[in-house]
Amino acid sequence: MSASTVVFAVSLHSEQCTGAEALQQKQQLNQFLAEVERRALRIAEISVRNRDDALDLVQEAMIRLAKYYAGRSRHEWAPLFYRILQNGIRDWHRRQKVRNRIMVWFGRTSPSGDDYDVVAQAPDPAGRTPDEQLQAHEAMQQLEVAIRALSGRQREAFMLRTFEGLAVAGTAAAMGCSEGSVKTHYSRAVHSIRKQLGDHWQ
Amino acid sequence: MSEQRNEDLSADKARELFDESVSRLDAATLSRLNKGRHDALERLQHARLAQQWRRWVPATGIAAAVLLTVMVTRGPGMIVAPDVPATVTDFEILMDEEGLEMLEDLEFYSWIDPADFEGAGSVG
Repeated sequence: MSASTVVFAVSLHSEQCTGAEALQQKQQLNQFLAEVERRALRIAEISVRNRDDALDLVQEAMIRLAKYYAGRSRHEWAPLFYRILQNGIRDWHRRQKVRNRIMVWFGRTSPSGDDYDVVAQAPDPAGRTPDEQLQAHEAMQQLEVAIRALSGRQREAFMLRTFEGLAVAGTAAAMGCSEGSVKTHYSRAVHSIRKQLGDHWQ
Repeated sequence: MSEQRNEDLSADKARELFDESVSRLDAATLSRLNKGRHDALERLQHARLAQQWRRWVPATGIAAAVLLTVMVTRGPGMIVAPDVPATVTDFEILMDEEGLEMLEDLEFYSWIDPADFEGAGSVG
């Protein structure tokens, strides 16, 4: 067997291994994104109060994760994904602020989010009565109002820790700050929410 | 009840409400999420192809450089030299010592040259 044949055989074997690894990586990434996408959407939706914009932000985060960070180890994906998403949400708020200033300049106001219905029209999968659904819906609405009243960093810490279930270290990586800061933001967020909701939480 | 326990209870209740709202996402939204995920995975394939292409660029460059080096170092020996023009050969003959004598009998040689060809033709 000539040297060139050996090189070709080794190269072919290496390509086949890379192909199998690529397929496995794609499957793992698909599984990860399928696990986080719904919660990520709701987190983005609570932050921006618009489902279409939230969907765009989540899709952008998924694309960026796949494009730039798919090669990282799997346990890094969640903090990276939420970091991309939180950056997207912050950019969205900056753009909204500029847009609102322009609207005020031209004597217009931005569309109100009051008519936005956060509850989907689909039948209740848990099979609850309309009254129970309404109670849950109202409680979630009150929680969303309380969350929106938090500062940006407190909101991020609370949602990543509570809703996504990230550990302190993962939340710190996603927020780009120290673990001590995460603990402080989270604790203040919980106190603030309890104070705002009062009796609803008893 | 301790403060920590209050915090945990509040977080549990918030998580419960949140999970419940996630479970109520409508089919159209889930479909858009699904499409977004597949678009992202498509980008992953494109990114990988681009990465493989970039990996071959240096190898191709090195191969081209090696080929060029071989052509430059070994090329002249392999290239067949073109026929030396007749005028150059004639010039060398004329520059010999005998050539100078030849110039003196130039008319004789110009007469004998076609005659020599004719003679060779008749012999063959």
